[in-house]
Amino acid sequence: MKHLIACLALIASPLAAQDFSEGSKAKSWNLYAEVPAKFEAEVVDVLCTLTGDCPEDCGAGKRQMGLVRSADDVLILPMKNSQPAFTGAAVELAPFCGQTVTVDGLLIDDPDLGAKNVYLLQTIQAADADPIKANKWTKNWAKEHPEAKGKGPWFRRDPRIKEIIAREGYLGLGLEEDQTYIDENF
Amino acid sequence: MRSSISAALAALLMLLAPPTGAQAAEGTRIQVTGEIIDTWCYYSGVMGSPDAVVGSAHHTCALWCSAGGIPVGLLAEDGTVYMVLKVGDDTESASGDTMLSLAAHTVEADGMLYQRDGLNYLVVANVVSDMDITNQNHNDYGNVPPFSIPDPNK
Repeated sequence: MKHLIACLALIASPLAAQDFSEGSKAKSWNLYAEVPAKFEAEVVDVLCTLTGDCPEDCGAGKRQMGLVRSADDVLILPMKNSQPAFTGAAVELAPFCGQTVTVDGLLIDDPDLGAKNVYLLQTIQAADADPIKANKWTKNWAKEHPEAKGKGPWFRRDPRIKEIIAREGYLGLGLEEDQTYIDENF
Repeated sequence: MRSSISAALAALLMLLAPPTGAQAAEGTRIQVTGEIIDTWCYYSGVMGSPDAVVGSAHHTCALWCSAGGIPVGLLAEDGTVYMVLKVGDDTESASGDTMLSLAAHTVEADGMLYQRDGLNYLVVANVVSDMDITNQNHNDYGNVPPFSIPDPNK
């Protein structure tokens, strides 16, 4: 019986909640449910992984990317890159499509909201390379939008965002509703 | 005794085995109604409470995050969040035009649900109806974040 208990403990241990914070150098964002996490993972295209619709380049940054963690085969969804600028992680991970990398960042774990296995990506380290910061999004955007060059953050200058706000207003309810709100609150 | 222990061990091993690719790829067709949200602000709390980071209050920020490539979700009436991976033929779930055009809208979607590792992923075959913005919560929460509307007096 002792042997059986020992076997069961051995088998069950990888399934216990694992701590991936060891060795993490992730910077805190002071988020309620953040947990530092550094781990090795395969970079995948989530739509491909789930449905079998698989372009060779994982969508070149236009599809959400995932990280299949080597330790437990869990699919992590990186939602955010390291820039405090409303920017995601797909552009950062797409160049590593199909590769095994080591990432560092913050897991968000909030059972009340259903947040599980979602991630703020801060660095990516490919095999035999130094870690690089996951902060290329804005530079990439500037390259794709030379016509939007100017002062202020990208989200004030983005042509698609400006077009929608010009048509629907900041509240999305029409320009008249916007004006009423602005008159009352500014 | 020994055979029953072996059987128990075998059953346990089967239960503990990680899901295979074939299992993970098994979807379920669903129809669901909810708001197209910015999942980062919703999950992280970085901009405020969950009720404040949806609807008209958060429309501009939802545009920023969608254009910025942050995953778009569908927040169903029962509070379930579905990560949207595709709408119709548009597979651009990171900064795509279709998802951007639906920011903060309430939609009825028909599609395939895939569940993996605690998250719900939705491949929308068809937006059955687009009800535009129905959650007009800006009078309760203001515009979130406050700088989402530039101060006209500055």
